Amino acid sequence: MNQALVAAAEEAPREADLAFECLYRANRDDVYAYAAGLLRDRAAAEEVTATAFERAYRKRSRFDPGRGEPRAWLFGIARNAALDELRRRGRHAELAADPADLLAERPDQSAEQAERRLALAAALATLDPRERELIALKFFAGLSNQEIAAVTAVSESNAGTRLHRAVTKLREACDGLL
Amino acid sequence: MDSSRDDEKLATALQELRPTPREEFAAELDERAAAGFPRHSRLGGLLERLRSTPPRKVLLPVGALAATVLVLGVVVAGVNSGGGDSAEQSNLPFLSGAAAEEEAESGGGEATTASQEATTESLESSAGDEAASGASAPSSSGSAAATGTSKRSIERSAEIEIGTAPAEVSDAASRVSAIVHANRGIVQRSSLDEDDGEARAEFELLIPSGKLGDALAEFSELGDVLSRNEATADITAPTVSTAERLQDSRARIDSLLGQLADATTEAERETVEAELRAERRHAARLRARLADLKRRANLSRVSLRIVSDGGTASGSSWGVGDAFHDAGRLLAGAAAVAIVVLAVLAPVALLALLAWLLHRAWLRRARARALS
Repeated sequence: MNQALVAAAEEAPREADLAFECLYRANRDDVYAYAAGLLRDRAAAEEVTATAFERAYRKRSRFDPGRGEPRAWLFGIARNAALDELRRRGRHAELAADPADLLAERPDQSAEQAERRLALAAALATLDPRERELIALKFFAGLSNQEIAAVTAVSESNAGTRLHRAVTKLREACDGLL
Repeated sequence: MDSSRDDEKLATALQELRPTPREEFAAELDERAAAGFPRHSRLGGLLERLRSTPPRKVLLPVGALAATVLVLGVVVAGVNSGGGDSAEQSNLPFLSGAAAEEEAESGGGEATTASQEATTESLESSAGDEAASGASAPSSSGSAAATGTSKRSIERSAEIEIGTAPAEVSDAASRVSAIVHANRGIVQRSSLDEDDGEARAEFELLIPSGKLGDALAEFSELGDVLSRNEATADITAPTVSTAERLQDSRARIDSLLGQLADATTEAERETVEAELRAERRHAARLRARLADLKRRANLSRVSLRIVSDGGTASGSSWGVGDAFHDAGRLLAGAAAVAIVVLAVLAPVALLALLAWLLHRAWLRRARARALS
């Protein structure tokens, strides 16, 4: 759906705008979730999300459907923005804010559930940034392995293997807490 | 089985952990998206970025840019001051070979500035002065060239094409001879072809350099000037070099004569005489070369053509052929300008492309490092 809509960018500007709007609506929260999961900083994630959509909007006429899906293209842009943010801050996905800031307690949760959430967040923090990025792409943004492969510029099987390793490591870090 | 159930539980837990954007942020971003992500002013954005960038990160690219501009300036200056050699060979057909030979003989590395310039009629007034300086032979001492205070030895040449009515070509050709003789010049070669109402006359002339300007002005009055090109080549260095070598040769001959007088044995005398003969031959060659160089400085070569084909005699109207001719010249001029522009822009574009590629590669690596 998105592909057809975005592909029309050069031919009909109005249709291109509509296509971009669809892409934006469908992916706004996913892009934010990915950025927040990788950066672990709400303000930075918001900045990266806004930057990513702005860049994508400016480049929308240059999108080539022959080279991939719009969603993967958008996440490629978001990834570059996130990595630029990491680079600019001169640190490597270190905590910039209290993770609790990202994991605000939900009123409907029991104390036990809240504890599990914190334990999982702590386990996520033990992963290295590359692994955390894969988890964020898969479980926060909901990308398929094929899309993750396109975003991270590796083969699909490689992406699957890396993701499996990251999940295994995360499960071990949780150590029966879930 | 357990592992699979664990994975499912983990996936569910992770999805519960999924960060969600604040409502205020989402609303603000929605507004910006609906407005097409309006740009902040470019200047303001640039200043903001500059302010947020550490000085050391600004100084490096600015320094690199300044260095590039400096290098480009030096290269351009170098090309302008030293690029005459090859141009001379292509634009100066009957001087190029000789000048190159002289340069080679003078050692190549000397200050042989065989610069040549195609001049227009507007430069004619200065031609006489330069020719006068060219007409004066260089002193036999080489120090003059070294100090740069002596008059230069300049070789000049010109090509001129005159258009006139077919019936007037013959008359114009006879007036050429009169002009040449009046200016104490020499007609080296001349030809006149008349056929089916078309006529063409060609001349190869030698005109005293001091009178080249006057002669060209008189030739221009024979009809319409269709084209006129003048060129100069500085042959001071080969002239001075040859004169120095001749002086050395003469000194060597004097020395050998002294040795001959002092020779006591027949064998010794024969050896010295053989050397003397060789040195005298060498001196003769140098004298001939020096005379040739002086002649080239004193006499300018002029190639003159008088044509009726396409030429417009006085009173005749401008026709289709003239239109084609003018169009061709215009196109040639435009092509020349385009080539010059291309020559300037191509290296700049290449540098920009290189810088862009380097920046992309650097950015890719920097992003990869950000995750490691």
